[in-house]
Amino acid sequence: MGRVRQGVLIAGDGRDTVSLVLETSAMSRPARSASIPIPRNTVTSSSARNIESVISLPFGSSPFTPSPRSRGPQPIPIAQNRSAEEQRTSVRNVRGSSSVATSISPTRPAARSLTHSSPNLITRSSPRSSPFEPRVIRAESVRVATIDPACLSTSPSSSLPRTRRPSSTVTTPRVSSSHRNPSGITQTTPALQLPTFARPTYLEESALRHLLQTEAPPSISPHRKSAQSNQRSLSSSSDSDEEGSPPPRRRNPTSYASPDVLRLPTRWSETYRNDLLSISADGRDITFQGASCNGDKEAAAARTTRPIPPACGIYYYEVDIISKGNKGHISIGFGGKDVKLSRLPGWEPNSWGYHGDDGCSFAAEKTGSPFGPTYGTGDTIGCGIDFSANQAFFTKNGSFIGTVFKDVGKTMDLYPSIGLRHSGEAIRVNFGQDKFHFEIDFYVQQRRTQTWSDIMATKVSTSLLSSAGPSSVKIAATQEQTRGAINKLVLSYLAHHGYSKTARAFQKQSQRPSRDLDVDMDNGSDDALGMDGDMERRTQIVNSVIQGDIDTALADTRKHYPNVLTVDEGLMLFKLRCRKFIELLLETTELKKQMDVEMSSMKPPGGAIDDDEMGMDIDEDALPLVDVVINPPSETPRSSKDKLEAALNQAIHYGQSMLNDYSSDKRPEVQSLFKRTVGIVAFHDPIAHGGVAAEIARPEARNELANELNQAILRSQGRPPQPALETIFRHTAACVHQLGMIGVGAAAFADIQKEFLSDTPQ
Amino acid sequence: MATAPSSSKPQKISIRAEEWDRRLHEVQITKHDLNRLIMDYLVVEGYKAAAEEFSQEANLSPDVDLDSIESRMNIRDALHRGDIEDAIARVNDLNPEILDTNPALYFHLQQQRLIEYIREGRIAEALQFAQAELAPRGEESPEFLSELEKTMALLAFDVMPSAPPGISELLSHAQRMKTAGEVNAAILESLGQPKDVKLDGLLKLLEWGEKELSDRAEYPRLHL
Repeated sequence: MGRVRQGVLIAGDGRDTVSLVLETSAMSRPARSASIPIPRNTVTSSSARNIESVISLPFGSSPFTPSPRSRGPQPIPIAQNRSAEEQRTSVRNVRGSSSVATSISPTRPAARSLTHSSPNLITRSSPRSSPFEPRVIRAESVRVATIDPACLSTSPSSSLPRTRRPSSTVTTPRVSSSHRNPSGITQTTPALQLPTFARPTYLEESALRHLLQTEAPPSISPHRKSAQSNQRSLSSSSDSDEEGSPPPRRRNPTSYASPDVLRLPTRWSETYRNDLLSISADGRDITFQGASCNGDKEAAAARTTRPIPPACGIYYYEVDIISKGNKGHISIGFGGKDVKLSRLPGWEPNSWGYHGDDGCSFAAEKTGSPFGPTYGTGDTIGCGIDFSANQAFFTKNGSFIGTVFKDVGKTMDLYPSIGLRHSGEAIRVNFGQDKFHFEIDFYVQQRRTQTWSDIMATKVSTSLLSSAGPSSVKIAATQEQTRGAINKLVLSYLAHHGYSKTARAFQKQSQRPSRDLDVDMDNGSDDALGMDGDMERRTQIVNSVIQGDIDTALADTRKHYPNVLTVDEGLMLFKLRCRKFIELLLETTELKKQMDVEMSSMKPPGGAIDDDEMGMDIDEDALPLVDVVINPPSETPRSSKDKLEAALNQAIHYGQSMLNDYSSDKRPEVQSLFKRTVGIVAFHDPIAHGGVAAEIARPEARNELANELNQAILRSQGRPPQPALETIFRHTAACVHQLGMIGVGAAAFADIQKEFLSDTPQ
Repeated sequence: MATAPSSSKPQKISIRAEEWDRRLHEVQITKHDLNRLIMDYLVVEGYKAAAEEFSQEANLSPDVDLDSIESRMNIRDALHRGDIEDAIARVNDLNPEILDTNPALYFHLQQQRLIEYIREGRIAEALQFAQAELAPRGEESPEFLSELEKTMALLAFDVMPSAPPGISELLSHAQRMKTAGEVNAAILESLGQPKDVKLDGLLKLLEWGEKELSDRAEYPRLHL
């Protein structure tokens, strides 16, 4: 969503963006700038700038980004060598891929609307154009993209990665697929030949897995290596770039909004490394270059560009010792953001390490504790950080060594880190690019199961569900009290949704044991739950709506719950009347279909003229409201024609009376619903047509309205509009999610969807 | 439960009500999901009539044969009544392997039987039963032995109010429910059905989550 939000921001920035510019202007751009973001104030065509900066988002972390001042004197070879042909190719690739960048590009919806002309999409992106005039909109669709970029926000924001039901915009599947499949980004960088990698499978155990993403490696162009040596100062000034978007914990402790993507470490940092270490182009190899460190205090360390998101639950990486040099004085571990780079991990405060020369573990100390075997050339050392237990573990050549350290990851962001001391030492890291030696998937599964059963050992306290709210005094509830609380939740849920027979059966059975045993089950009184007949009345009304019988629903509501129709200046009444109008129209659609069938069965072959006439009559779009009263061909059976005419007249009459009643109601909600409702007149068969028309006409809309009416009735009685059980579920899920985001590793192993909603018992 | 003083913690984050509402709104949950949670509860806890009605009204087919609830509930009722012999016989009718393969469960049933003897004041029978049935098992495991000793201590306290809470609670209805719950879980397990009520787990997760989050954040608390 961060990307989405940025995309929106860019859309807002480039008000003059035009959909068609994408290819042409990009082609004419002098330099390929995926790796070289053009500063905002550069005089470039704004559309191209927008596109390019969107594209460069996934790679925004590049530490090699030359600062603007370096670009003048230092020509960038690649840009000049690239032929126009190549540039076009890469642009086309970007467009054709499912990258986040293209899918959120403001130009996208407009481009699609040109070909698909989905009225749904158009209305979403431009409420100013009338939704019930599809033809006109088609002509205006180019303007749509330019009118009001702020409107675009409706589309991306409705496609949050967590939204289960996809919004009906064309762009949605693209956004979500790229969120879930970060490897899709690979396709956007065909020229770079640097594979990104999929999220390691052990992270599937995390409940927040959908947020955990690897990233594309910084785009490294051939000029980098030459530029690297004399740009040290530049790269160190680009720290803020490199840090990208680390988890926000402790960044801004007073206000909190969740980030949308948590980036995983993927490479060693060019910035946070000792000068004696050289890092390979792919960011995985570290080689000690130059003179070995003297004495016992000096060393050379490096850390990754990004910290480990504790939402992983457990994070794991492996290091191959390519060469241990003379002494194998290597430390593998992790540390905070600003640990000294001239010391081995484990020596300094906020650092932890496992040393190859003596097999000792170090936690911010000068002398280590015996921990595991020594290691050297050819060995693979795995390092795991278990945020659910706030400890670490190490493996050697695929075998578990043991757990070590305490209170790890509680108060700071942690970065995988490595330290070398002598000339010739070299390592290569595996952050998940390759298969791990250790069976990390199995290990994490076990830890997840253990963590979950620890959480499930929590004693529910008596104050948890009390109306007095949570209390600091926790008294463990007895089994009977918990049972009573759940019974209450179940019964109120059943009553809420009007499952009256179930509610009665449940009530009867759940109160049985309490009779003889003097246990207060407290199921709530009948009255409080509305089980005194009220529930049945409510259910009946709701069912009337679901069946499309709005008249009955209205009459019953007026009789039993008159307040519901007057509250909010009659908003509920208005909504019901809109539905009534739709039902009338749908009836005409049905009659028309019937008539078509009858006609085609009676008509002699060769009735081409009639067909044409009919074709005109049913022409789907943009007919003014009155013109819909059609003149059916004379050979149509009398009764069908009469019926249709009567139905149409009734619908139009009803529509007109609504127009009278509501044209003066200036509430945007009323006006917009009214427009959308009347808009379906334009469609021959709104449900079959799809888009907004179908959305508002389809039977599911009845269910939504019924649910709304149910809530309105409940609210009018002073009852919660949402069953307590649903409130509890949402609250619990939100709590756990939040915990995972602020670094409580155990929460990552509390997968509420999987545990409580999945089909298969675990 | 020890609560760490909040002042020693790092600064709490604060989540505004609108942000929290947005998060609540984003949670993926449908009526169908909730209906299934309800059905799970009705089935596991043995509300057969309600489960039958619910499968009709909510158009939801339960994962299990609802008739299997019946026998489970008869066993539970027997245990709630204190008729342990009947319960054991019924469990064995259903599936003799349940008790054969689960010595701890069998011991707890026998212990419950002893408790019922004592409750009824049938002291002689209680002693005889303890010596014949429970003592040999007590030798098998130290855990059983300590349970047995605790139960036998009931005999020492003629006047109930003077008994220490750990001992007198053996006579409570909660003890019967506990045993019944164990049996219920064992039967469900033998049928290959999940034995934990999901709604129960949800409340536990809520308790855990509320505690952990309130230690670290200011946020709108659950309000029912």
